[in-house]
Amino acid sequence: MKTEPALAAGLEQLLSKLLHYGTLAASAVIAAGLAIALVSGAPGMRIATAGIVLFILLPVARVGAMLIFFLRARDYRFGAIAALVLLIIIFSYLVGAR
Amino acid sequence: MAEAQVGLELWLFAVALGTSMLGGVLGMASGIFIVPILTMFGRIDIHTAIGASLISVIACSCGSAAPFLKERLTNIRLAILLETATTSGALCGVFLAGLIATPVLYVIFALILLLSAQQMLARRKESIVALAGDAGRWAALGLDSSYPERAPDREVAYSVQRLPFGMALMYGAGLISALLGIGSGVLKIPAMDTALRLPIKVSSATSNFMIGVTAAASAGAYFARGEIISSIAAPVALGSVLGAVLGARILMNVPNERLRLMFIAILIVLAAQMMLAAFGIHLLGHAN
Repeated sequence: MKTEPALAAGLEQLLSKLLHYGTLAASAVIAAGLAIALVSGAPGMRIATAGIVLFILLPVARVGAMLIFFLRARDYRFGAIAALVLLIIIFSYLVGAR
Repeated sequence: MAEAQVGLELWLFAVALGTSMLGGVLGMASGIFIVPILTMFGRIDIHTAIGASLISVIACSCGSAAPFLKERLTNIRLAILLETATTSGALCGVFLAGLIATPVLYVIFALILLLSAQQMLARRKESIVALAGDAGRWAALGLDSSYPERAPDREVAYSVQRLPFGMALMYGAGLISALLGIGSGVLKIPAMDTALRLPIKVSSATSNFMIGVTAAASAGAYFARGEIISSIAAPVALGSVLGAVLGARILMNVPNERLRLMFIAILIVLAAQMMLAAFGIHLLGHAN
């Protein structure tokens, strides 16, 4: 099944907002962390680390948003594909953490 | 904070800003420059450099995705399907990165740099784009789409060809991305241009969109391993985002030809350096 064009346009809007504001937020946290680190050291670097984690999670959130979108559009085939991508990413983290 | 540390962070920020700005002009991911510069001139361990580079790759991909999405150049459905292959490759890359000896990493990196130089020299040609009319075996997946072309103003339909071949190449791109901390545009672009037969604008936008997820799949693992050092990765990420924004705004109209040749020269020099470093010879800088 092909997703309706109007629905698809909604997805493009949603993803572009998520990635745009997500990048702004993560960058702002990193900048704030580095600025604080400049003045008072370690606590600032922990904030910068939080910004880095935000960046790592942003594409994952994007796949999650696609999963929800496909499921709501009853496009189960692509819902399953998005779920598979999420599972591979989670598995990769587990391999790394081992 | 120690002065030397502040100096290093400023240098990292400047390197990321500069390469990202220049990369933006040529529509090329700057990730490929981060690792060689950090290891050769910054005396930074290659695994730490790869970790930092991955964050910068994610930042650039996410930061530049919005305009492509709004112009409907990104094929979202195709992207998520191909991401099953790129993230699987990344998973294997994460696993291999722990096994491969550092000199071998240097050699692989040198080869990818040379491949990039060769690709940049050859330039991209529009492959014969199959029209949606002769949609083949993959039509049922709903991957075929169209994108708006500005001059002349028209809607260009395209269909996706040779999907299994494209998926195999994407797996390789994901593996190299996780192994070297680059976006692997150098492997994704030929996969999309030649195997899937996509129009250049669509393949650029879709490749850029996928790079973030691919890098995130391995960046999480590098982070869990403690190979992403904030004092290195944070300034690099910030510099890359800013460089990408500035590059898109300021440098759009700079004549490309000379810059392109300069880039090719830099790629070859860095490849030679990485190759020599693999054998413990350091001509420039002072990598350990």
